[in-house]
Formats: sequence, C-alpha cells, structure tokens
Amino acid sequence: MMKGIVKRFPGVLAVDHVDFELYPKEIHALLGENGAGKTTLMNVLYGVYRADEGQILINGKQVRIRNAVDAQSNGIGMVHQHFSLIPVFTVKENLSIGLRDGGFRLNLNQIKLKIEEAEEKYGIEIDIDKKVQQLSVGEQQRVEILKLLFRGASTLILDEPTSSLTPQEVVNLFKSLRALQSEGKTIVIITHKLYEALDIADRVTVLRKGKVVFKAIKEGLTPQALTEAMIGRSVELSNYKMEKVSSRNSLIVEGLSVMGDRNEEMVIGASLEVHAGEILGIAGVSGNGQKELIESIFGLRASKGGRILINGHDITKYGVKGRIKAGLGYIPEERKTRGAAISLSLSLNSVMHDHWGQPYLTRGAFNYKAIRKFAREIISSFKVAAKDESVPARDLSGGNLQKFIVGREMMRNSSFLMSVNPTSGLDVGATEYVRNEIVSYRNKGGGVLLVSEDLDELLALSDRIVVMYRGKTSKPVERKDFDKLKIGAMMLGEGFNS
Amino acid sequence: MSSFISIFMLLLPTVVLGMVPRAAPIFAAALGENIDQSAGTLNLGVEGMMLLGTIIGFVIDFKTGDFVLAFIVAGLASALLALLHGIATISFKVDQVTSGTAIWFIGWGLSGFIYSSLFGKASSPPAVKTIPTLYIPHLTDIPYIGKLLFGQDPVVYALFITFLVAQYFLFHTKAGLNLRTVGEDPLVAEIMGVNPDLYRYFALIFGGFMAGVGGAYITLSLVGSFYFDMTAGMGFIAVALVYFGKWNPLRVLIGSLVFGAVYVLYLALETYFPTTPYQFFSMFPYIATLILIILVGARAHAPAALALPYIKEG
Repeated sequence: MMKGIVKRFPGVLAVDHVDFELYPKEIHALLGENGAGKTTLMNVLYGVYRADEGQILINGKQVRIRNAVDAQSNGIGMVHQHFSLIPVFTVKENLSIGLRDGGFRLNLNQIKLKIEEAEEKYGIEIDIDKKVQQLSVGEQQRVEILKLLFRGASTLILDEPTSSLTPQEVVNLFKSLRALQSEGKTIVIITHKLYEALDIADRVTVLRKGKVVFKAIKEGLTPQALTEAMIGRSVELSNYKMEKVSSRNSLIVEGLSVMGDRNEEMVIGASLEVHAGEILGIAGVSGNGQKELIESIFGLRASKGGRILINGHDITKYGVKGRIKAGLGYIPEERKTRGAAISLSLSLNSVMHDHWGQPYLTRGAFNYKAIRKFAREIISSFKVAAKDESVPARDLSGGNLQKFIVGREMMRNSSFLMSVNPTSGLDVGATEYVRNEIVSYRNKGGGVLLVSEDLDELLALSDRIVVMYRGKTSKPVERKDFDKLKIGAMMLGEGFNS
Repeated sequence: MSSFISIFMLLLPTVVLGMVPRAAPIFAAALGENIDQSAGTLNLGVEGMMLLGTIIGFVIDFKTGDFVLAFIVAGLASALLALLHGIATISFKVDQVTSGTAIWFIGWGLSGFIYSSLFGKASSPPAVKTIPTLYIPHLTDIPYIGKLLFGQDPVVYALFITFLVAQYFLFHTKAGLNLRTVGEDPLVAEIMGVNPDLYRYFALIFGGFMAGVGGAYITLSLVGSFYFDMTAGMGFIAVALVYFGKWNPLRVLIGSLVFGAVYVLYLALETYFPTTPYQFFSMFPYIATLILIILVGARAHAPAALALPYIKEG
C-alpha cells in the first residue's frame, strides 16, 4: 500500500496526497484521464520517480524504493507503454540483461531452459529465439510480462496494456491475466478505458488531477458512476452528426507499393478511394504499412509502383510541395517532431505549408503581418490555449498543439486531409474537440483519410473502413456493416489471402 | 596494364608481410572505439589520444629502454584523456562530438608540447630502437606464412589476444550483453539493474587505453622516433572502421588489415613512381576506407543510443 504520496514536477502537482491500497491476488484497475497522475503514481511505486512525500508499505513494513531494481527485489514489476525491450536483441537476450547469478559467462542455452520452464508454468507461448523487432505488439507485451515473472515479480503493473492491441488480443491478454491471478499474482492495470476496468478488475481506484476521487469494489459499479468520477461531471459521449455531402472530388490511390526502412515491401498494391465529404478510416495493427502508405501519399516516401490521383489529377510524380498545392493536408502523429518545429513561434508554424507564396511571402521576404494574422485566426477559431502567436510551439500542451496543427491544416484550404492517431495522448476534452473538428471538416466537403490504432475512434468517425494487413488493403466496409469483432478479425489477417 | 599486374605481383609478398604491423596501431584504436560505441559513447578524440600515446610511449622508452612499460604508460595517459571525455559527456552530459573534438586538440597540443619541452633543443631528432620481432627457428623460416604468423613483434600478439578477449566479452558474457544494452537503450539497462554510467566509463577508459597503445606502436615499432602529427588522421580512420565493422571486432580486424595492406601498397608505389608527388598515393588508404564504408556501412544497425547522453528523469 502507498500512503500520502506526493510527487511534484516543475510547476505541476502530479500526485497529490494519494493513498493507494493493493491486496494480494487481486486485479486492480487504476482509472483516470490522461494526465490524472496514474502512471506517475505507479512510477513512484516502481522506483522510476521518487516521491516528494509519503511512504510505501508492504505487509505493514515500510520499504524504500529508490530505483527499479529495488522495486524488483520487492517483487514489483511494471510494463510501461513503451516497452523496455531492445528490438535488435532476441527474446532470450532481452531476458538475460542484468542477470547476476551464474558466473561471468552468458550461457544462453541454460537461460533458454529456465525461460521455457517459466513459459510453461504461466502458459505464455513465445518463440524466444526470435528478435523482438520481429514480434507483434501483443507478443512483445507477453515478452515484457514473461520478463517480469522470470525475475520473480509477484505484483505486475501494466500501463495502458490494451492501447495497441486488437480486440482479440485484448481478450487473450485478459485471459492470461486471470490465469496469473489464479497463480497467486497481484495485478494493477492502468487504464483510461472504463469498460476495460469493469471487465477485468476486482477493485477500482479512480484518480483525477492527481487525487483519489473514487474507490470501490466492482460489484454494483455502473459506467455512469465511473465516468462521472473520472471527468468530474457527467458527459454525454457525443454522437457525431454525419451530413450527406455530394461532391465528385476524390483522392484515389491505385495499386500503390512502398518500401519500408528495412528495405522490404511494406505497402503492397494498396488501393483506396476517399471522396469529398467522407471519412475513410484505416484500421490495422500498427506496423502493417499504414505509416508507409500515408508517408508515400504525402510524398515523404517514394513509391515503387501505383498511382495517386487528386480529383482525377495524377500527383504520383509530385514532390511534397506539389502535393500540398494540389490540396493535400497532413496531421502527423508525431506532433512535436513532424507536426511542428517546436522551437519556432506559432506564427511561423502556422505557415509551414504555405510560406512560399502570397500573401505570406512578398518580394522574397516574409510578410509577418499576414503570417501573424493567420496564426491568430487559428488560435481563436480552434480555441488553442496560448498566450499569443509569438510563443514557441513547445510551450503548448500536447492537446493545444494538436488543436493548433489541426486548425492549420483545416484552415489552409486543403481539400483532403490525412490524419494519423489524431487523439493519441489527448485528454477527453481535447479528444472530443479534435474529433468534432474532423467531422465538421468532412461535413463542409473535405475528405479525410483517418489512420488510427483506436478502433473505437474509427468506428465512431468513419463512413467506411479499410483494413490494412501486411501491406495490403481490404475492400472497404460500409458504416452500416461495422462490427467490431469482424474488423478485429480482419486486422489479424482474416479475409486476406497471403 | 601488364606492367601494373607485374608490379602488383612483385608487391604482393611485401603487402602481405607489411600489412600486419601497419594495421596494428589502427586496429588497437579501432578495437577500443568499438567497445566505446557498443556502450553508446562516441569517442571522436581517438586521434588526440593516439597522438598522446605516440609521445608518451616514445619518452618512456627513450628514458628507460623498457618498451613494455612504455606501452602501458602510453595507454594509461590516453586513458586519462578518455576519463576527461567521460566526465564531460557521461557525468555532465556534454555533447559527445563537441567534447571529442576538444579532446583531439588537447592530445594534439600535449604531444607537441611534451616533445618540444623535452627535446626542443636537440640538433638531430632523437631515436629509439624499434621493438624486436619474434624469431622461432624453423617456424619463422617457413616461406611466406612463417614470417606472417611467427615473425611479428610481441605487441601484435598481445593485440590479437586482446581481440579474442574483446570478441568473447562482447558476445558471450553477461557483462558484454549489459554493455551492448547500455548502447541500445540506457534506460532499459537501468531498469534491468545495470548502471549505464559505469559501463560507459569502463568502455571509454578501455578505448582510451587502446588508442594510447596504438599511438605508441607508431613511434616504438613502425618509426623509432617522434615527429609532429605523426598519426595523420589514423584516429579518424579507426572511428570509420568501427562503422565498417558494424560494431563487431572481427570485422573491425578485417577492415584494419585492408587498411594496412593499402597503406603498404602506397609506401611501395611511392618508390616505384618517384616523379608523382607522394601525397597522391598517401590518399589511397583513406580513399579505400571511404569506399569500404560506402559498400557496407549504410545498412548497418548502429547502437541505438550511440552519441546520446543518458539523462535520468525524476
């Protein structure tokens, strides 16, 4: 149990006098919005951060946890959202890092036997001779869990474990977690998805703005009660208003093939069609070619074959600038590295895709008056919380920076917009805002190509969904035929002939 | 064309026999740099550390006549320089390229300073006896391979043993795996109970020691005396060879031997074509290195945390 934990970061009170109890052999959900302090609290327990105040007690005895090694020797293990694995090492090498017993030599065969023993005991199946980078996200997660068990963890903390899994993989994960529970393990799941908490947890603790606002056992809990506790008010999750738009404009991709970074074909003959006034969702487990497809359509990555057409106009041979001029907009997932130049001011960021011509460039020099005016327009129309347009982009919070980038791409007369995981890492408020803006862009006659790892987001926003699997695209599924489990199965390869 | 081939055939034995000692100094430095980089620390100061090794090795041998002592002190002196680089980059998180460049100039300045203050007034440059090569009756007399295998100086054999140990260490020991983990992702290493800073210091100090040994080899085995700037960019070639070697000492060894062979070729061609300015041929080893790296380098996986300082949060 944790008592009176306080953790401050410069300017932020991340965890505010939190008491958190964990009982043996329970599955405990730590629920809250992004930024509520869930991960920070658990990082204190795992020794990643040191608490400014408070104490940690195990079986009534106070313990000092100064680093992850201390945590591990107290039987606590944590799987972070970004896995602590070395992609170029094999599974068994990853499990051997930092081993202390058994001499100087690295005897991988002996370690292999030990790992296989653990695999059998906990019912985890993984090919441990493979390199981690060859494994799917779900498999990598199992490696992480196995690693902690292998090191004798009795308490497992999982940070947003379902965020990049398909529905089927989530089912499997929950099954193994229950199996671990019956083996006597204690499990903490950090999540912002309340249905997951209701599904798996025996008890729930809700954090909001660094404080515990709700504690309960599962029996008798309702989703409404949990939502209210998380957000502090009751919200109706909006139904997005999809209006009928008639237009013949379209963004067409025909038989596109693209090479990946490792010199292998990541996109294989992909075809899709986005109409004006439509949101086309692309579903898929990350790493199935979505990134390469979007980069290739925008011109960041050369294509090996196929065509890209905007309104019947072939843009395959164009560079990025030509494609932007043809009406393409792009909201990359990496806001701080691709969406904006974070050390530059918001005003300069606002014209990142338009600075080469009127009205922002006159006679070879920037027209700062026009640039600032445009930036101010974005800030006011998209409710960006920023002091003014002269602050550097890095001063904005993730949500506000995303609003600014979305605003830029929408206000600069693009006719088609590509967006990758537009709401990842945003809180509920910002997420709702960005989703509504995407829908209203569609309703005004824009076409949107939406790539997301959040299947619920795709189901909520898309007119049609195309699934990508191993570089190939499926036939589009119409909105009336949306079925979460069916699309989940397609994400795992169903209906794709290899 | 046929004259080229005949010259080549004529030169072949010279090249094969000469490449080992020519490869030795660069291999010593490159082996150290390999361990450095596998731990994620880029040491661009190798050139300076080698230069310091050239003069320290020379001075100790000149004063004591003990070449073993000379090599050890030269290695330790350069290891001190590496420690300085470590304090800057590991403890104070200074950019590794910036610090490495500073170290290069410190080594360069020190080597000249030490020489001038000790021998500045000497009318002719002082010399030491170069270290003796091995001679085992019968074995060394075997044509061609006898001299190659059994006729080198002791430092070459010591280097070879160091190579075997390093190769084993890196890929077959727990500490080697930990070191490579630090080079890939220090945070993961820390979570797994490995102290990244400790491993990086160890790697840098080893790398510095080896660079010093490489430098001393130039004065004590190849030349027998000291002159300014005598490493002539070999420290940088050592860094390049690590890229060629894809962070595997065995491949680094092969790359060093190729460099050594081209170096001997250049020395020989220089005498065959006395009318061509020698600077033309002296570019050869460096051009060869560049070509080697272009051929293999682009697709290699570098340690993911190479040249990135490890800054802890919280």
